[in-house]
Amino acid sequence: MAARRAEGQRAGAPWRRRAGWLFGSAALLRLALLCYGAYQDRTMLVKYTDVDYHVFTDAARFVSQGRSPYLRATYRYTPLLGWILAPNIYLTPLFGKLLFIAGDLTAAGLMLHILLLRGMDASKACGYCAFWLLNPLPMAVSSRGNAESLVAVLVLATMYYIEKGNIVKSAILYGFSVHMKIYPVTYALPIALHLQNDGCCEKGATDAFHFKKSKCSLMGHFWQFFSRPLNSNVLLFGAVGGFTFVALSLSFYYFYGWEFLEHTYLYHLTRRDIRHNFSPYFYMLYLTAESEWSFALGLAAFLPQLLLLLVVSLAYYKDLVFCCFLHTAVFVSFNKVCTSQYFLWYLCLLPLVMPNVKMSWQRGVLLLLLWFLGQALWLVPAYFLEFKGNNTFLLIWLAGLLFLFINCFVLVQIISHYQKGEKVSKKVKHQ
Amino acid sequence: MAAAAEARGPGGCRERREEPRAGGGQAGAGRARRGRGGSAGPGSPPPCAGWRLGPPVRLDLEMQRQWMERLFPWQGILTFRVALLVCTARSLSAQATCPDIIVTQQLLKEGFHRELLTRVELGAGEEAIGSCTVAIKEHLPAGLYVDPYELASLQQHNLTEALMIADTIDVESPEYLATDLAILVYMKPDPQCDRCFKAMLPVHSRYHRPSKDDGEAIAVLKNPEILIYCHKSFPSLECWNYSEVEAPCSVRNGHTCHWSNVTYKPVNKEVILLVPVGLKQHGALVCAGTLLTTVLCSCLVLAAVCKHGPSSFVHCSE
Repeated sequence: MAARRAEGQRAGAPWRRRAGWLFGSAALLRLALLCYGAYQDRTMLVKYTDVDYHVFTDAARFVSQGRSPYLRATYRYTPLLGWILAPNIYLTPLFGKLLFIAGDLTAAGLMLHILLLRGMDASKACGYCAFWLLNPLPMAVSSRGNAESLVAVLVLATMYYIEKGNIVKSAILYGFSVHMKIYPVTYALPIALHLQNDGCCEKGATDAFHFKKSKCSLMGHFWQFFSRPLNSNVLLFGAVGGFTFVALSLSFYYFYGWEFLEHTYLYHLTRRDIRHNFSPYFYMLYLTAESEWSFALGLAAFLPQLLLLLVVSLAYYKDLVFCCFLHTAVFVSFNKVCTSQYFLWYLCLLPLVMPNVKMSWQRGVLLLLLWFLGQALWLVPAYFLEFKGNNTFLLIWLAGLLFLFINCFVLVQIISHYQKGEKVSKKVKHQ
Repeated sequence: MAAAAEARGPGGCRERREEPRAGGGQAGAGRARRGRGGSAGPGSPPPCAGWRLGPPVRLDLEMQRQWMERLFPWQGILTFRVALLVCTARSLSAQATCPDIIVTQQLLKEGFHRELLTRVELGAGEEAIGSCTVAIKEHLPAGLYVDPYELASLQQHNLTEALMIADTIDVESPEYLATDLAILVYMKPDPQCDRCFKAMLPVHSRYHRPSKDDGEAIAVLKNPEILIYCHKSFPSLECWNYSEVEAPCSVRNGHTCHWSNVTYKPVNKEVILLVPVGLKQHGALVCAGTLLTTVLCSCLVLAAVCKHGPSSFVHCSE
């Protein structure tokens, strides 16, 4: 036993060094971007820092004066963020950015641990984490002052503790993540299905509850889920997560009243931005904004999203991370509003999904380039509309549809090349 | 005087034969001269051209009074005319010295994010304008807005000093849900000419309603009000029409100063901004196309899940 441990330590030492180098260089790169951003803000008229960061800082200033953060226009986040960023006022305005960079690195650390939990080889796991650590997109987003890395940490921590089997911790973190951003609420179904069926995922057991053969086993799964009493894990998760969320909401409602509910939750649920964005529905919603069809069309736009989320949950709940990745990708692609910040929501789960998606690196690079091409084809007419005043609405609409098609194509490729590691799943169950 | 008999000579003219009276000779001669000049009164026959002067006689006081009565209106008219001439001359000279206010506005850049450049020239003059501050009050229509946080940032860089005359502004709402906005912009001296000022204000367009015909909506920017505040007296200010208004002295100083809102004749017409908008006739095509594409794409993903999903799920094909 001791010999094996020593051998493990000797084998482990190189990968720890490698991980150290990886994380160290990622931190240095982000700090360098931070310094450059401070320089650009001071000298040039076009700022490096995102507008959102100024919104956070102003809200933190109001909070430090004992007032409501919602006095700041366009602050549509939880007051918790204003509270956390109070050192922006007391210490340095760069505190928030440093926090978000730390969040980035923590997210990568969680990814590493989840991959190790799944039995992956340590050096390989480092390689997958490099996709996030050395990726310019999360680097730029965090150094510009967006808070996406905090939500990524919460979501990844939830996944980590579910993998480990610690239901209470995962439920608390899940409650926090839904409070910070609404989109993790869609993970409730996959998580419930995963926890419900955790102990009985043998093929034989599911066949026993197989519904009629003429229908798709989608119905079978539905029946299966609702016919059995809920697992204690599911109940515990639901209770603790629900309690955390309600406790947070009630305490902030006590402090800030209706404003808090309106800006933190309702705005995001009813948001209908008619200004141009990546969503395929943008032009349709803009043209029908004041017509009587507006509500019906909004509902019609919601249906494909809902159906896909349901089907994906039922199909892939066994691999929670993959399921959540597909969930978020579908949610973002079919949403009525889509901005580039949303891409990070599923990008943080991609390093965990990549080991199970067996495709050649050429195909992977091609898909990535196709995805960037879709964005570029949208950005060109959008630039001409916003900065040159040309009427490119039709082109933007077509580019939006094309981007949706490209997103779905990439998803289909990922789904078709997904192979769940059988050995890996068995190892997790025996722990 | 009835005693002075009037006889009509040939042609209906008056012939006045002077009766020998004391002290009327020169007056008679004077009358003859004056008689040629004008008429004695309405309805009276014209004096005779060839008036024979009788022996010099002295006119009596009554006649003198009559002549004075006839003279007075003439004097009055003459005085009035001279006064009018003087006044006109004076006002002409005054207009010649009252400088013109020239205001030009132009929109720089293109698209949804523009910069409004306003130049004010307070005309040529001798006195220095150094002690005066000039500000403009812009009235932006509902289709345009300014970003207060952008203004705060520009103020820090000392590029633009502007004060919004509204508490809050919704930067995200479309044009039909927004209201007009008034902004006070404090101008800086323009190095190009002596009594020139300029100000730059970044403005943004809102989204307008989709249009039926062409793909453009119009936002009209009215001419601004010009406000001047002088510490010392500024003579040119006196010849312009102005009304007193109260406004903040500067962006940093919260005190209120008494500004003069001067009226001026706008040189160029109102500035018109064209904002691209969607076309209503695309509505049916866009709705159909969008819904079709989203249904198609969701079917693609559904088919992939059914086909490649985990084995326990794949019973669709059976």
